[in-house]
Amino acid sequence: MTSLSSYWSNQWLITAAITKRGLLRMRRLPSLLIPSIIMPIFFVIAFSGSFSSVVQLDGYDTNKAVNWMAAWAILQGSAFSGLGGGGLTATDLENGFFDRLRAAPITPASLIAGLVGYSITRATLPTTAVLIVSFGVLDADMPGGILGFVIAYFTAIAIAAVMSLFVLGIVFKMKTLKSLAVAQVVMFSMMFLSVGQAPLEAIEGWLYHVAKYNPITHVIRMGRQGFLGDVTWAGTQPGLISIALLMAGAGIWARGCYRKVDI
Amino acid sequence: MIRQPQAWAPTLFFPLLLAAVYSSQFSKAVSLPEFPYPDVTFLDFILPACVIQGVLFGSTNSATDLAGDIENAFMDRLLSSPVSRSSILIARLTSAFSYGLVQATILILVFFAFGAELSGGIRSALALILITSFLSMGVGSFLIAIALKTGSQEVVNSLFPVIFVFIFISSAFFPVELMDGWYGQIAEWNPLTWIIDWTRVITIEGFSWKVLLQAFSVIALISLAGIATSIRQLKRRLAMAS
Repeated sequence: MTSLSSYWSNQWLITAAITKRGLLRMRRLPSLLIPSIIMPIFFVIAFSGSFSSVVQLDGYDTNKAVNWMAAWAILQGSAFSGLGGGGLTATDLENGFFDRLRAAPITPASLIAGLVGYSITRATLPTTAVLIVSFGVLDADMPGGILGFVIAYFTAIAIAAVMSLFVLGIVFKMKTLKSLAVAQVVMFSMMFLSVGQAPLEAIEGWLYHVAKYNPITHVIRMGRQGFLGDVTWAGTQPGLISIALLMAGAGIWARGCYRKVDI
Repeated sequence: MIRQPQAWAPTLFFPLLLAAVYSSQFSKAVSLPEFPYPDVTFLDFILPACVIQGVLFGSTNSATDLAGDIENAFMDRLLSSPVSRSSILIARLTSAFSYGLVQATILILVFFAFGAELSGGIRSALALILITSFLSMGVGSFLIAIALKTGSQEVVNSLFPVIFVFIFISSAFFPVELMDGWYGQIAEWNPLTWIIDWTRVITIEGFSWKVLLQAFSVIALISLAGIATSIRQLKRRLAMAS
């Protein structure tokens, strides 16, 4: 029993060490961090400014574009942060350090969890930055109160975890930094084909059907509800189910690709 | 372009993705009061902006290649050979122009395939292709100057977000008339807004020599400033090499 608990505590320590390694790298290379903070800030300013009048259309449920776009910018920033673990792994794969990690007594789950931990910790920075700009500069509202902030942070962290697992799978498969470009294309296509910038009521044609069944739609709605009104279970449940399914799918994908790193 | 499809594929993919998404998401926006073109589809409205966006993203390629040549010392070999110094710059500018020409043509053909319409027909299409190609050369000349100054592909690539910012803070995806406050004011002052709006007049209202000349006058000013900066940086690099 003691040896089992010490085994798990060791695995936790390894996970924490890998997360810490990513965070230290982020501190040493601020050039990695600046775009992932600056771009979401720009997104919230640009989308709220460019599309300030679209809230006059049906379905937006707010009279300020920033209330709609802030959640979208937060999720974009989190998705960017999800690339962090993948970028670190791709660099390690290219310079051979990853082989040393694999040769060490580390379980794949601890290694992957550490990389995901790094991505989700990183996601809190752009989320905070977007919230500061949204409320401090763009005069956003949060009728959902504290719970609205909590659900916004939770959604950001969850998206970072899902995207991190998804990107890790691609990196394990392609074993190069160039794979991040492929990951970005798939990731942002998924994000854009949702209700990120417009409600379902405003969307027409093929995109309506794609957005309706895109799980990211439910996740964005969950994160956005505090900006538009009260946080409710009805608004949260579909998002939680989508996150659970996405997490399971991306986790299986990442673990499966990890097995094939040597092939 | 043939050897490195990864360099140009995203510059076609992202404008087309945005066009596909925005034409569905904001299709009802044409019914908003003050929307300047209530009788066209949103796809027709964003067509010129998406072509300009794609071409501007692609305009980094020529400068990135030049920076790559400096990084891997190919530029030094060029300078030690009996090659005219001005041809180094002219070749890069021609490359930026040609790249823009090909890219704009492909994008317009894809837009046509998805039902976009140009009221001025072939003349408007040609005008749009020429405006965007010269704009690609003009913006490309600034990037070439930066490539000559820094000799770093990473620095040139890091300017991509700056282009992104210029495009978004303009009338590219939504009319300035419908933007609020300081953001709308900045968008109004952005020269890209003027070029996009003039191009929009040509594609939506019909071909006009006057509007074409207005667009070219701004592009000529941008190009002159960019080329002058590039020549200065080339001279500086040549002085460093000798």
